[in-house]
Amino acid sequence: MPHSFTLNERRVEVDAPDMTPLLSVLRSRLGLTGAKPGCAEGRCGACTVLVDDRPAVSCLTPVALAEGRSVRTVESLADPDGPLNPLQDALLEHGGVQCGACTPGILMALTALFERDATPDEAAIKESLAGNICRCTGYHKIVEAALAVAGGNGGRS
Amino acid sequence: MTRVVGTNARRADGDDKVRGAAVYGMDTGETGTLQAKLLRSPVAAGRIRRLATERAAALPGVRAIITAADVPDTTSGWILKDQPMFAREEIRYIGEPIAAVAADTLEQAEAAVAAIELEIDPLEALTDMDAALAEGARLIHPAWESYPMLAPGPRDGNVAWESTLDRGDVDAAFAAAHLVVSDEFTTQRQHQSPIEPHAAVGRFESGRYVVHSPAQFPFLVRDRLAEWLGVPASKVRVVVTTIGGGFGGKIDAMLEPFVCVLARKTGRAVRLVNTRQEELQTAGPRENAVIRIRTAVSANGEILGQEADTLADNGAYSGEIVACAAVPGLVFGGTYRVPVARYRTRVIYTNTAPTAAFRGVNGPYAMFALEQHLDHIAAELGMDRRELRLRNVIKAGEAIANGQVLDDAVFEEGFARVDEIAPWAAGTAEVSTGGRKVLRGKGIGAVTWLTNPGPGGATVKINEDGTAGVICAGAEIGSGAVAAGLRQIVAEELGLTPDDVIILAADTDAGTYDGGAQGSRTLFSLGNAAVQASAQVREQLLEVAANLLEASPADLELADGHVQVAGSPGAKVPLAAVAQTALYTAGPISATGRHITPPVQFDSGCLAGALFTGFATPTYHVHSAEVEVCPDTGKVTVLRYVVAQDVGRAINPQQVEGQIHGGVLQGLGYALYEDLRVTDGVTVDHSLENYRLPTVFEAPPIDIALLDNPWPDGPYGAKGAGEPSIIPVAAVIASAVSDAIGKPIRNLPITPFDVLAALREESESPVDQP
Repeated sequence: MPHSFTLNERRVEVDAPDMTPLLSVLRSRLGLTGAKPGCAEGRCGACTVLVDDRPAVSCLTPVALAEGRSVRTVESLADPDGPLNPLQDALLEHGGVQCGACTPGILMALTALFERDATPDEAAIKESLAGNICRCTGYHKIVEAALAVAGGNGGRS
Repeated sequence: MTRVVGTNARRADGDDKVRGAAVYGMDTGETGTLQAKLLRSPVAAGRIRRLATERAAALPGVRAIITAADVPDTTSGWILKDQPMFAREEIRYIGEPIAAVAADTLEQAEAAVAAIELEIDPLEALTDMDAALAEGARLIHPAWESYPMLAPGPRDGNVAWESTLDRGDVDAAFAAAHLVVSDEFTTQRQHQSPIEPHAAVGRFESGRYVVHSPAQFPFLVRDRLAEWLGVPASKVRVVVTTIGGGFGGKIDAMLEPFVCVLARKTGRAVRLVNTRQEELQTAGPRENAVIRIRTAVSANGEILGQEADTLADNGAYSGEIVACAAVPGLVFGGTYRVPVARYRTRVIYTNTAPTAAFRGVNGPYAMFALEQHLDHIAAELGMDRRELRLRNVIKAGEAIANGQVLDDAVFEEGFARVDEIAPWAAGTAEVSTGGRKVLRGKGIGAVTWLTNPGPGGATVKINEDGTAGVICAGAEIGSGAVAAGLRQIVAEELGLTPDDVIILAADTDAGTYDGGAQGSRTLFSLGNAAVQASAQVREQLLEVAANLLEASPADLELADGHVQVAGSPGAKVPLAAVAQTALYTAGPISATGRHITPPVQFDSGCLAGALFTGFATPTYHVHSAEVEVCPDTGKVTVLRYVVAQDVGRAINPQQVEGQIHGGVLQGLGYALYEDLRVTDGVTVDHSLENYRLPTVFEAPPIDIALLDNPWPDGPYGAKGAGEPSIIPVAAVIASAVSDAIGKPIRNLPITPFDVLAALREESESPVDQP
């Protein structure tokens, strides 16, 4: 079944059964392995992408539901040869990355938040991460990094 | 003064990680490889009557199917070598591999697994420790006596391993005691649950097995593969990918042997990744345990003697639990003065999924038991709980139960620092918020821990552009030990910036033997090796630069990427020029350092079956927690958490804090709800929906006091820092809950149901509670 959607601002077409998880299409058909198959059951959030600007767990999103929509992955946040965006930079500056397997999903969840609200408070930041498990950091430095971006200092506290 | 050490330098792998460009084990071979799947046992115990793969092999896309018949008839293991690669005749747990399929696609591999014909004659399944220890119980390993061992230890049938610590006249201490207190505790399995599941990609190249996997201890994986595949270790190469979390669960080999054999059979690269269900049901969790402990105390609360008996569930095969069997005894007798002690740990075979290392290994439950037991003693004596601990805690220069003297213990400072942050004397008890009654309580506890003494080595070279290269087999598990700390140490040594230091990813073909990312050892061991290598590199640089600068090497120093004459900063030459000149004069600049921690000095007569005999490079920890308990729902909320931790010296304070935050939250999960339940041999928690991991909402406020206690044999004074923050958490949270509800806590996790049951019990038999 052919499906076409916008992926990181480029139109793509793939031929896959309707119910194929978007995550599989991204990873094994389109070569984007930034979204991680942490649990493949919608619980860990490591595969979070944006579908029409809203966070979605791509492991449970059938490719058919991406039809005609805009899909954005972690790879869209910065040009491969360009500087990091403020959220990416802040996560590193504040030590919010350890193993990093949850990081792509965390970044996409926070991206959706910051696009809605450029100055979220701590409660809003935590709310936006409700669906993302990080087993390494205990979350504090991730929240700190997001607060720093919300404070408008580009992640440098 | 240091220039780079002690700063919060960024991690080398961070840029790739935030761009989604880092290649993890789960990303390796996503395309262009064959995909593999395991047929796993559906029963906990049985004999394979018939295993037929012909029909499955004829299915579309199937390239190879292997079973026990395709691999050497051998068993492997780290300490006790009792595990076959595939169940050969006897099946010992649900999920045990029976066959492996490689096919063009995962769907084809799954279809072939479903088509394999398997008939099993069931055997009586011994699915808990009581059943396995019962008089006349069936032997789970009838051939237990024939298994090879890395080191000998006491064993007996379903007792896979026994470790004892026996020192002094314990019976006399109990006979003379003012008070004897006894307790029993049970604790659950806890799953590491890194975001990245186990994954491996195997190739067979030039007659050698090459496997890429997120391995914490690549040389152990290499050696396990060599044993299972029946080849010398040099025929195996393990390349470590970016690791998406491990926490002990990726120390041992898991999927690697299957992809190796399938790659040889098919001539193709083969990839195998666990599903989340396979992770939870077969990738070894922290073991469940039963602890019985009994202490003799004097009227003023002095511990006179102690005995403890620990049963640890090994599951069907042996891993790190055997290696760490002595650790509960060391925890019981390693923090508070226990003049005479008798400790025994028995590691018990059961027909359940094998258990394995999880951060802190058996430390968290041993400390949980000891600290609740101390609370019980304090209550019996009518003594303040903190005061009891202060009276008994080890002071610098005193000996612990194994006879080891802790020269640099800083517990008093630890207790004092915690008290500055969260004063113990400040009241808690019952409070009302918004008209609702809530219960509040506090807990405090201390523990000694170790820096894993395993060996390591590092080669440092100066590249011809003046940067440094480091070659070692230290796996970057995510802690930043390699990606941040090791870079900082080499940069400090050679007058470079961290970005000028390039570290090769761990590879058993390239790096010197390394004891693995475990027990906080990576930066301690490789930092020492790198300091040693850097000193030689420095000498080589100065010798070549002395000719260029027409100065004596003794007058030269390394700074800002140059060799310069000390005191006359104008007279200098860039490292690039020195390295290029060296190529044709002294030879390329390169040196290797190595490190091993000297053995712990202890009373060697008191221990048996102990692979860890004491606390190598000991570290000291004091934690406290304040909790709120809702009497209506039983929900426990951690209001405040304080950690005082001796790290020797922090090479990168930010990364150390990150380790503490993460360890505390993993410990909180263990204390309150993480419980990998096993019923009749079935691991019933098969998804992250029912095995719940802590989320951002459960992360309590954490205050941290890093205790500066430089270790003379550590790099820049550093000790191990990554592992131990998880260990005291369940102990102090349980103490705090117990304080809040006025009832003892004897089991983990402390669920709302347990809290409500304890509170109901209270209303039936009232105790002093406002």
